[in-house]
Amino acid sequence: MSELFSLTVLTGIAYSGIRLATPYLFAALGEMFAQRSGVVNLGVEGIMLMGAFTAFAMATWTGNLWFALFCAAFIGLLMGLAMSFISVNMQAEQGISGIGMHLFGLGLSSLLFTKFLGSTKAITGFQPIKIPLLGDIPVIGEIFFNHNILVYLAFLLVPIAVWVLNKTTLGLKIRAVGVKPEAADSLGVSVSKIRYLCVSFGGVMAGIAGASLTLALINLFQENMTSGIGFIAVALVYFGGWTPVGVTLGALLFSLVNALQLWIQVLDKDKVIPSDFALMMPYVLTIAVLAFGKRTNQPAALTKPFDRGSH
Amino acid sequence: MSKINRRKFLTIAGTLSAGAALTACATPAPTAAPAAPGAAAKPAAKQFKIAMVCPSLVNDAAFSQSMYDAIMSVQKEMGGESALMLKYSDNVFQVPNAAAAIRDYAGQGFDLVIAHGTQYGNSLQEIAKDFPNVAFAWGTATDNFESKGLKNVFAYNPKAEEGGYVLGVLAAKMTKSNVVGVCGPVEAGDAKTFVDGFKKGVTDTNKAAKVNVTYTGNFSDVSLMAAAAETHTKAGADILTGSSQSVVGAIGIAKDKKIVWFGTQSNQANLAPETVGASQVYDWSGIVKEMISMINSGKKGTVSFESTLKNGGLKIVYNDKVAISADAKAAAAAATKDIADGKLKALP
Amino acid sequence: MAHGSKLMALNSQRMSILLPTGQPRIESMRMINITKRFPGVLANDKVNFDVKAGEIHALLGENGAGKSTLMRQLGGLYRPDGGEIHLDGKPVQFKSPADSIQRGIGMIHQHFMLVPTLTVAENVALGLPSSRGLQLDLDKVSQKIEKLAQRYGLKIHPDAYVWQLSVGEQQRVEIMKALYRGAALLALDEPTAVLTPQEVDDLFKVLRGMAADGHALIFISHKLHEIIDISHRVTVMRDSKVVATHPTAGSTKTQLAREMVGREVILQYDKTPYKPGAAMLRIEDLVVMGDRGQKAVHDVSLIVREGEIFGIAGVSGNGQRELAEALTGLRPVQTGRVVVAGQELTHAKPAQRIAAGQSAIPEERMREGVVKEFSVSENLILQDHGHEPYSRNIFLNFDAIAKESKRLIDEFRVKTPSAETPIKNLSGGNIQKVIMAREINRKPRVLICAQPTRGVDIGASEYIHQRLLEQRSAGTATLLISEDLDELLALSDRIAVMFDGKIMSIIDRDKATVERLGLLMAGVKA
Ligand SMILES: Nc1ncnc2c1ncn2[C@@H]1O[C@H](COP(=O)(O)OP(=O)(O)O)[C@@H](O)[C@H]1O
Ligand SMILES: [Mg+2]
Repeated sequence: MSELFSLTVLTGIAYSGIRLATPYLFAALGEMFAQRSGVVNLGVEGIMLMGAFTAFAMATWTGNLWFALFCAAFIGLLMGLAMSFISVNMQAEQGISGIGMHLFGLGLSSLLFTKFLGSTKAITGFQPIKIPLLGDIPVIGEIFFNHNILVYLAFLLVPIAVWVLNKTTLGLKIRAVGVKPEAADSLGVSVSKIRYLCVSFGGVMAGIAGASLTLALINLFQENMTSGIGFIAVALVYFGGWTPVGVTLGALLFSLVNALQLWIQVLDKDKVIPSDFALMMPYVLTIAVLAFGKRTNQPAALTKPFDRGSH
Repeated sequence: MSKINRRKFLTIAGTLSAGAALTACATPAPTAAPAAPGAAAKPAAKQFKIAMVCPSLVNDAAFSQSMYDAIMSVQKEMGGESALMLKYSDNVFQVPNAAAAIRDYAGQGFDLVIAHGTQYGNSLQEIAKDFPNVAFAWGTATDNFESKGLKNVFAYNPKAEEGGYVLGVLAAKMTKSNVVGVCGPVEAGDAKTFVDGFKKGVTDTNKAAKVNVTYTGNFSDVSLMAAAAETHTKAGADILTGSSQSVVGAIGIAKDKKIVWFGTQSNQANLAPETVGASQVYDWSGIVKEMISMINSGKKGTVSFESTLKNGGLKIVYNDKVAISADAKAAAAAATKDIADGKLKALP
Repeated sequence: MAHGSKLMALNSQRMSILLPTGQPRIESMRMINITKRFPGVLANDKVNFDVKAGEIHALLGENGAGKSTLMRQLGGLYRPDGGEIHLDGKPVQFKSPADSIQRGIGMIHQHFMLVPTLTVAENVALGLPSSRGLQLDLDKVSQKIEKLAQRYGLKIHPDAYVWQLSVGEQQRVEIMKALYRGAALLALDEPTAVLTPQEVDDLFKVLRGMAADGHALIFISHKLHEIIDISHRVTVMRDSKVVATHPTAGSTKTQLAREMVGREVILQYDKTPYKPGAAMLRIEDLVVMGDRGQKAVHDVSLIVREGEIFGIAGVSGNGQRELAEALTGLRPVQTGRVVVAGQELTHAKPAQRIAAGQSAIPEERMREGVVKEFSVSENLILQDHGHEPYSRNIFLNFDAIAKESKRLIDEFRVKTPSAETPIKNLSGGNIQKVIMAREINRKPRVLICAQPTRGVDIGASEYIHQRLLEQRSAGTATLLISEDLDELLALSDRIAVMFDGKIMSIIDRDKATVERLGLLMAGVKA
């Protein structure tokens, strides 16, 4: 067990943590925008499954990974638009319609998979790209600058999200709409447009998150392969206090603990720590943070439909 | 206001039912089986009718597929659907849903109802009591409930450790880094015995080799399985193996890292032809045939079957696309023979 | 009339002059025959209303008269079902708030439209294009805010978060939002409802300055003295129609009240001489916790005597609600004592308090005062159904209930289709009368009365006030909690001012003035 603190192992944990964080990061950053605008989309998991399937099918048929990624994003967009329509125009209860969206994605991706692919064959996904110079730095280069393109994209998204949310006129509108939609409305900001935009963006990100599983992390599709990643991503938004940096730290922490527990299993030859206990670590952490974390940042209008007539 | 409410209701109901309907489509209900019920109505000779409930898809390249393939091969041998009919519900991981399906089948006049999942045992025991004239089988398990007074339950169990040991011998011969990784799902059942046999096979053959084992805690978390495989490669493993339907995640990683994978339960070579070196294949067809002949002669249970390398219930299937040295194959063949002859214990 | 034509002349002189914000003026705005329906309600019935540059035009009317609805159509939030809006003589249509803002109309809503989690500058910049394209230019926004603030005498910090601001400051942010957008016409919907008297004075200074600069202003209120104080013209609305429009100069409160209510209204009550008796309600060092775990009521001690109305003044949120809830047994008392008619009731349940002779008129009348789904008569016997004459043994005596309900409905002039009507269908004033009838009918020795006329029209308020004074003459000890200084000054014998959970001071009625109370309400000890 003392090897746990060796440089190779620590590097390994950090590298895996960053890599594993990718799908969470895409999904959670997208969901964060939806929630900042006042809509909870619990259907992230279903959209991810559709994204994962679409990307895998397209990569299998065309061999073009970028085209596959684009198609997954497009499916995510369509499902995001559907969720926007349900929550903004129909003003449906968001929790229930999100679960509906999840079941829809789960069912449709399984159905299409059985119908069109049947048995699977692993594809060759995005390969690690070593960034010149930076990638050659010992340890640091190995941890940070030797990943596949989707990992870089996910982390590049973080500063962009910070900038959009805090430094742009669009971000200001999003922040206002999620807290007090009637105030934004009275100043001529279209609450519907902003919510459509954010929820659809969340859909696109969830589609890409799903694609990152089949195109970069696993290279295969299996039905219900997300097994909870989408729901964890929703939890990470709360965990991260609705800020891009918070969400990123949450995703990293969660993945690092997951990587750590796997390493503990590998190194713990005498099974001093039961595997069940190691497996619980990331979840216990999540629940603890959700239970003890403060909710002061929660957008006040979260889950509340906006209707000018009722004010 | 009331208009909005109705609209809302319709939206929610619509979304939910669409989702539910699709889920139902993807998991054939008892009625949506490969064999049309009409075909069963006019059998030429006496048609033998089997129903099966299993936890994952019948094309999962693992546990469920192994039983499906076996029944299909027996069907072919017996002369097609007119002689042997199969209805199945796959992808029924939740025990209550499975129990409902098993009970439905039992009431529909099947000759044999197979509950293909260890987790179905308790439910099966209760259902079998209510249908004494129907024969049931469940596995993987060793308890046929005769001690509980049931005369109509067969049990079947693969001695997964046997193939595990043989694959371990191959791994020990092939590894260059002397590190081998095992991606386990849950520390129980044939997954555990496979892992234990594999470990023993490696260490008996190559004293210098290390075997690292991880468990993900469930049978379905593909991405955690992938992460586990990746961790093993980071820890230096150049050969990987693992069990359960979630190993597709690990196989993807093995392919990416261009290292060798050993499969179990089904032949996994088609998932990644240049990666899977060999698979231990569960071949239940012998057991299925034996159960059919017992039932036809009036015996509806009280037998526990075991699949072994000796009786052909377990087979080691090589994949020609992956080069394995003759020396390694010879060692594996020797181990197979010793286990079959009872000279070698696969479990520690 | 003379006043109007003088204004016209002034206007034509200034035709080409821009406002200090650099925006063109709106010389005239006319709403012609505006009609607006909601399901089952005709909210505006052929309403005519106009305002000119440099003018403050007051819109007066009882709750529900249709004032806010009229303004919301001007602000583009609702679209008229009939009628036209003209700006400088040309018909215009507002399809959205953005349209209306773009035409130079600024709206300050009854409920503030501010995002508490954003800064002042962000609230001002919300929805506006930036000089840097996609990127915000908050530094420039702040500079412009400071310039405007100086020009109009609005004290504002652009970088403060709105949740940190007092109500008065928030209102200045609302005005700033409108000015920043180049509002030439500003409509303020009940802007004084939540302000202390000093804050009202500050607001009026700003408004007068804006009018002098050539802005057109619409000022909505139902407080008569404010309208007389600030406006040039006044339009009175009643039951969704305009009943009068005339210059304010020369109007009296009595006349305006008559126009608003449709009959003579008594504004000055005749009080019997103040003859306090024995101490009936004794509160000693009371501490009560608020919802957020803070000390909402902080060592409050006071005594209310027989035949006395003891007023509690204060801006909302200074512990009055928690005090009332503690006294009625709805909120636990932390430390201290409450004694009613010699009986210690600090931790007593509501029923014990009623038994001891205490009645209560709660602030949240729909939630705590009545059962919404129950009929008027059921609500009338709510707490007394267990006693004679309403029941004998375990049976309700329906005849007695019906007779008594009828008597109370008549005596308290409750306007209801029948005693069996669900109470939720009644107007606020009539619901309050039902509660009063029930509570007073019990002949209480102590009456806890919170915000008795909030949201109640003048006619009903007047009646409620008369009944409270009757109780005073009958010897009841009344604790009257109110945010309406006029009400407190009209009824109370002594007034305590609450600020931040503490009692700032207790003043005899004849020494109490609006100014003195206002300073205390703002936390300033004279
Ligand atoms: N959005 C709405 N939906 C239905 N009825 C409304 C709505 N807004 C106002 N009303 C009704 O229209 C009438 C006038 O209301 P309002 O304009 O708010 O009055 P005021 O501002 O003068 O107090 C009231 O009867 C009110 O209940
Ligand atoms: Mg109003």
